Amino acid sequence: MEGEQEREGRPHTGDQMFPVRCFTCGAVIAHKWEEYQDKINSGKSPKEALDELGIKRYCCRRMFLTYKSIIKELSRLQGAVG
Amino acid sequence: MKIEIIDEDEFNIRFILYDAPIAFANSFRRAMKSLVPVMAVDYIDVYLNSSYLFDEILAHRIGLIPIKTDLSRFNMQNECVCGGEGCPSCQISFRLNVEGPKVVYSGDFVSDDEEIKPVYDNIPIVELFKGQQLMIEAVARLGIGKEHSKFQPVSICAYKIVPEIKIKENCNDCKACVEACPRNVLDSKDSKDGKIIVKDVLNCSLCMECVKVCEEIAIEITETNNYLFTVEGIGQLPIKEVMTKALEILKSKAEEMNKLIEEIV
Repeated sequence: MEGEQEREGRPHTGDQMFPVRCFTCGAVIAHKWEEYQDKINSGKSPKEALDELGIKRYCCRRMFLTYKSIIKELSRLQGAVG
Repeated sequence: MKIEIIDEDEFNIRFILYDAPIAFANSFRRAMKSLVPVMAVDYIDVYLNSSYLFDEILAHRIGLIPIKTDLSRFNMQNECVCGGEGCPSCQISFRLNVEGPKVVYSGDFVSDDEEIKPVYDNIPIVELFKGQQLMIEAVARLGIGKEHSKFQPVSICAYKIVPEIKIKENCNDCKACVEACPRNVLDSKDSKDGKIIVKDVLNCSLCMECVKVCEEIAIEITETNNYLFTVEGIGQLPIKEVMTKALEILKSKAEEMNKLIEEIV
């Protein structure tokens, strides 16, 4: 967990490790992730945010809706393995 | 055979392929998806990685980043003059040297060549915390979709048959078919004297609901030799270049086949 507070810029929303591409169709989606986060943080519903970003297919939409950052869990294990 | 483009923008295109055998439509689709070469990172040297992610996860994420490709300047590695060893005309390397705290983006890669760079600059790769460091050299090369899906120039690439919908004269305008159609292909509002017309034939999915519901058997749906293609590019190549390149590859494959047959006969 060390270093978490020192990070600059946007608040820690777990905004990394988001899949680069949609698992099903292979379209690149990660470049829209931060914009999606900003829209969610400004109070929009996921539906509005995804519609505005132009993510039409439900395979790509579920990538956004079901993503959960696990970097905090990984940071706890740092040094324990390898 | 003729191609008519219905609508297109930077990454998407819809077109109709007229008067083609269905085998050709399918091989065209398959050629676009799996035979057109594009660039992707295929090999990385990790000099230093103290991030929370393993080298292999980083390699996988970097590999999936689409890279702008210039097909006239690069050869496939197995056809290159260097014999597959790697030279400036078949591969290109990117360097990444960053220190946390920072989110590493695809735009942080320094390319050897200004024109060959990631399509998107803002794909997050990994988050570095204080004191973490990353030193990577990534080598990109040309490859085809058959080998790995990161080399695919298109994500969605599909076709469907454009049907011919005939409404015969014994239609009694009961409008049961208009209600049965799940895709609003049929309509009776726009025509005079309430006759049922085909409004949007491209939207038809050949579900045959209208035929089933029609008591007079007045609707007839037949398949034609026209195909509606929907193609969505990823961005390494312009979508029209993908199409022409796929057709070129198909042609060269057909010519090779011709040669083989002539040898036998």
